[in-house]
Amino acid sequence: MLPTPKLDFLPVLPELILAGAGIVTLLYEALAPRASRATHLGLSLVGLAAAAGASIALWDRTGDPTVLAGAIQADRLAVVARVIIISVAAVGLLLGTHYYDRSGDERRGEFYPLVLFATTGMTLIVAAADLIVVFLALEILSLSLYVLTGMSRRGQATEASMKYFLLGAFASAFFLYGVAMAYGATGTTKIAGIAHALAGQTGGQALALVALGFLAIGFGFKVSAVPFHMWTPDVYQGAPTPVTAFMAAATKVAAFGALIRVLDVSFQPLAWDWMPVIWALAAASVVVGSVLAIAQSDVKRMLAYSSIAHAGFVLTGLTAANQDGIRAALFYLIAYAMMTLGSFGVVMLVSVRGEERTSLASYSGLGRRQPLLAGLMALFMLSLAGIPPTAGFIAKVGVFGAAIRAGHWQLALVGVVSSVAAAFFYLRVVVLMYMQEPQGEEQEEDRSPLPRLALAVPAILTLVLGVFPQMLLGVLDKASVLRW
Amino acid sequence: MIRLPLVLVFSALLFSAGVYGVLARRNAVLVLMSIELMLNAVNVNLVGFSAALRSLTGQIFALFVIAVAAAEVGIGLAIVILLFRNRETINVDEVNLLKW
Amino acid sequence: MLRDYLPVVLLAALAVAFAVASMTASRLLGPNRPDPVKLSAYECGNEPIRLPKGEKFGVKFYVVAMLFIIFDIETIFLFPWAVTFRTLGLFGLVEMAIFIGLVFVAYVYVWKKGGLDWAEGQGPASVREARAAAEADLGEAARAR
Repeated sequence: MLPTPKLDFLPVLPELILAGAGIVTLLYEALAPRASRATHLGLSLVGLAAAAGASIALWDRTGDPTVLAGAIQADRLAVVARVIIISVAAVGLLLGTHYYDRSGDERRGEFYPLVLFATTGMTLIVAAADLIVVFLALEILSLSLYVLTGMSRRGQATEASMKYFLLGAFASAFFLYGVAMAYGATGTTKIAGIAHALAGQTGGQALALVALGFLAIGFGFKVSAVPFHMWTPDVYQGAPTPVTAFMAAATKVAAFGALIRVLDVSFQPLAWDWMPVIWALAAASVVVGSVLAIAQSDVKRMLAYSSIAHAGFVLTGLTAANQDGIRAALFYLIAYAMMTLGSFGVVMLVSVRGEERTSLASYSGLGRRQPLLAGLMALFMLSLAGIPPTAGFIAKVGVFGAAIRAGHWQLALVGVVSSVAAAFFYLRVVVLMYMQEPQGEEQEEDRSPLPRLALAVPAILTLVLGVFPQMLLGVLDKASVLRW
Repeated sequence: MIRLPLVLVFSALLFSAGVYGVLARRNAVLVLMSIELMLNAVNVNLVGFSAALRSLTGQIFALFVIAVAAAEVGIGLAIVILLFRNRETINVDEVNLLKW
Repeated sequence: MLRDYLPVVLLAALAVAFAVASMTASRLLGPNRPDPVKLSAYECGNEPIRLPKGEKFGVKFYVVAMLFIIFDIETIFLFPWAVTFRTLGLFGLVEMAIFIGLVFVAYVYVWKKGGLDWAEGQGPASVREARAAAEADLGEAARAR
């Protein structure tokens, strides 16, 4: 008999709960003849809450940094990232329930299990300690998101789903090739094992560098960094808006969580080789994202380009290649997740039924028609632009500071200049809402309370983190220490 | 014993053929097949490394890749069917409701 | 050893050489007097009604193919377990039971959602269409004659 491996399932309990909830909702959808959205929502939220609880319980865990034969990392970075992702998923589910209630579409009960499975993949990828697990988690979340993107009757959604799938699968293949090369170079797929092997090697690191390049392409696609960003505007625009909100906010946290581990643990011995690569990706994303966003006339497309720019800002923090940079990147990710989730949520509520009103013009005079929504949108826009006293400001200061302290002041300069340019199109939305007359005839307005309540979470966090960032920074100080 | 560089070159060629297929083909199903080719190139690599390094990890990983590739094909075919029902085409060039 | 494959390579080379040689020989030595009847495609003594080129498969086939691929490939995880299941013991058995349980959940979902129903009505719609088209063509061919 082989010795039964020592099994400590506690560190993957959040994923087990999430996957379990996904299966329960899937079976409910299949077996209940008249499954209702409310029950789906209830089941899913219970699952998410339990998973969040199980994650938080891991905060004070001591003992081995990895469990399950070195497959899962049990550290505080994983805890923080999981809690963010799960919160985003909860808000996304509330928004989605409202969206499908209003759209008069078919039942679309698969929305719930798919979001739960995508969340499972996302939380798993930030806790992965083995590149095999990273790949599997990446596929779990990607496959669920491809389907979610197409969950609407509109032709645009199908098309977005197709594009996302083809480019995503293409990127996964590159990622996988990189993993195979890393395995060939070091003889292991463990994230920490690769670091040990690379630190012990002298010279002849061609394979490892090839691996690094391919992994960078794969991650570049997932976080939508320039030049791997082509899919982002199409997919964000075509997908149903609540799916876009969930996907834009949570996928970035998940992909960056894994990227942090791969760069700052596995390839730490090669930090001087990857730093210029990340530097270039960051600079290109910040500039291209900010400039192209100015030219957009559709709000969802504009936010998509803005998300590309924000990926660049997070990468700016990561060029520091130290704990300082990781902490800044984490703070940025949290702030970004909240403001993106919030702004797409408002877009969903403004576009009423289906997707008719996503053009910038439909925001003119919103301040008079819907003061609450306009206020929320203004808050998120100011935060995305990085204007105090919002979380976006503190986050930007953090990543630029980390980059400058690590000697990348040129990159910080590029970032600051781009932020100024980007402020233009964020503020344009605010100006439209408050200083323009409403255009066109009066249309039916969406005034339901539930999604507004859901949007209170990102709104409050955006403000609170902007005014009292110390609350979170203390937590992130502990979370940014990678144990391996 | 087949020498490792030979395996790596073969896998690189296979991967490149897949990349070419993805970029050059206009039929979504053929693009899908090209992606499968890329994944199989990776499998060749993994098994080659596994034999050369005398470590089982690579082979286990290859099994996972095969299963994931199948799931990917499943989703891909489903999306192609959906697209065909909506648009009566599976030519990726004609898919142009959204600006590229 | 690559040397072990030498017989296979030799056999393949022989087969190709034989085929090429006999076709060249018949082209060079035999008489060549084509006429329309000889050149027409032979299909069980009938004129071929229409060529299958460009015909589309029913979407149902894709659905079945999709489901088949997924459920078929899942067995890949059974093989390593089957090879070592005595050494893995109860642990392996429980793992596999969970795995098969998950596949079963997917099966229940597909079944209940109607993924396995071939078609409403009698027989596959695509086959009926194909038959109708073939009959129409036959009628035309008969009238033409």
